[in-house]
Amino acid sequence: MQEIESTFKDISVSIPEDTKLIITAKKEDLLSILRFLQDKGYNHLALISCVDWIEEKEFELVYIITSYLEENEYTGREKINIILKTKINRENPQFITAIPVFENAEPYEREIHELFGINFKGHPRLTPLFLEREYKIPPFRKDFDTREYVKEFFNKIPFVDEKK
Amino acid sequence: MNKDTITSTRELELYFGPQHLGMVGNFSITLKVEGDRILEATSNPGYLHRGFEKLMEYRTWIQNFPLVCRMNVVEPDSMEMAYAMAVEKLAGIEVPERANYIRSICLELARVGSHLFGLWAYSNLLGFDTVAQWAMYHRDLILDLFEELTGARVYHIYIWPGGVRRDFPNGFKDKIVNTLHSIGSCVPDYDSVFFNNRIFYERAKGIGKITQEEAKKWGAAGQVLRATGEKFDIRKVEPYAAYNKVDFEIPTREDGDAYSRIWVVRDEMIESVHMIFKLLDKMSEGEVYNRVPNPFKWKISKGETYVRVESSRGELGLYMVSDGGDKPYRVHFRTPSYTHGLIILEKLLKGASIADVGNIMISLYVVAPEIDR
Repeated sequence: MQEIESTFKDISVSIPEDTKLIITAKKEDLLSILRFLQDKGYNHLALISCVDWIEEKEFELVYIITSYLEENEYTGREKINIILKTKINRENPQFITAIPVFENAEPYEREIHELFGINFKGHPRLTPLFLEREYKIPPFRKDFDTREYVKEFFNKIPFVDEKK
Repeated sequence: MNKDTITSTRELELYFGPQHLGMVGNFSITLKVEGDRILEATSNPGYLHRGFEKLMEYRTWIQNFPLVCRMNVVEPDSMEMAYAMAVEKLAGIEVPERANYIRSICLELARVGSHLFGLWAYSNLLGFDTVAQWAMYHRDLILDLFEELTGARVYHIYIWPGGVRRDFPNGFKDKIVNTLHSIGSCVPDYDSVFFNNRIFYERAKGIGKITQEEAKKWGAAGQVLRATGEKFDIRKVEPYAAYNKVDFEIPTREDGDAYSRIWVVRDEMIESVHMIFKLLDKMSEGEVYNRVPNPFKWKISKGETYVRVESSRGELGLYMVSDGGDKPYRVHFRTPSYTHGLIILEKLLKGASIADVGNIMISLYVVAPEIDR
């Protein structure tokens, strides 16, 4: 794993456990790191997640990469979970799609687009996935208050504590 | 008559589900069809979107358990396991050895129950009503076991950080053995009526075929991947609970079609039953719950983790972030049905006939609440 540190500059690698590897990278490097890891045999993109760090005014995109078996042999590499993180600006969030590297990134990016409002450039269909109506703020952002929304939206139905 | 010489120019858009006889679960597919042939399929999830991951950010660590198990109706235990594992990793809670065994037994029972449910859906769809009723009855026997162990039939909330909620009741070991024996004695019946049946072969052979390269490219896991010959199983790759204490086989098939997938499911059930017997033999006495501070006042230090378990449908992952507070900052589940239902289903339906839509979907084991969350 020193290999990745020597190949890319401006990244920090930490190993919290034997089988875990957290890589923090700049957003420009992200796709090339993904390609690098894929060439090294980490060929399974398990998840793309997004965390809203509202105080730092940043979104953190998290790519979790593991690997399948090699020729049906347990080599020990498949134990390693790589958590690859990058931060993007919270105002007008834009990023590039990872579909050219991992084809199964498609629904994950679609979900993040819908729930966090991040625009992935080059994504073929950023259409709604789960939600049935439009929201002013994408609902999974931290400044979206579910209780406020419910009160506003369903205000015709009185709350139990208001009845008394 | 050669099929290729006749082409119809009429394309139709067909809404398949959620209110469709051939659809199991709240899921819908929009099909573009020409005659009986599907040109394009689009999955439409969202009928069960309850925003659990957002709701969890408003609730304390322990209050989230009733939400976690409701993500998957068929097999809630693997969800509880993933959540408990993530909290244990972040908070550094140890689990006693007996609790690990009980967790494994519980998860394997749930796997058998879930596979029986899948078999019910699949055989019902192909017209094997009798087999479907058997499978449902046998699943009910397993639910009876869970009722005695946890007090609930479907949503158990039994596995939690620090161990399991309570020990086996008196004589429970014998009950597990008896129930599994009575289910196992029906395997020849299942085989002769369903698995070795010519109709099953004709309906499922070659349907929804996927190669190993495609499966890996599209992020498959579970029996979808194992039906293509890969022995990938999280229980072996990254053992959790007590899976490193027992020896077990990973059943595979080579062809990657619906027929192989259902056979893998059958073999997995039998392997799970054998594994439960081994686990029961090896189980030691002792505590089942590690005393931890008052769960309602937990504050878990800052950190993040990714854990994965093998649910009955494939790799179930959980990415969890804590900001040092009494509630999780972000919870994100990687559910196996997500890739199976949103990518692989769309790809496999291209070129299939309308009659095979449910066949392909259930053989991929798509569970709608898991996709929507």
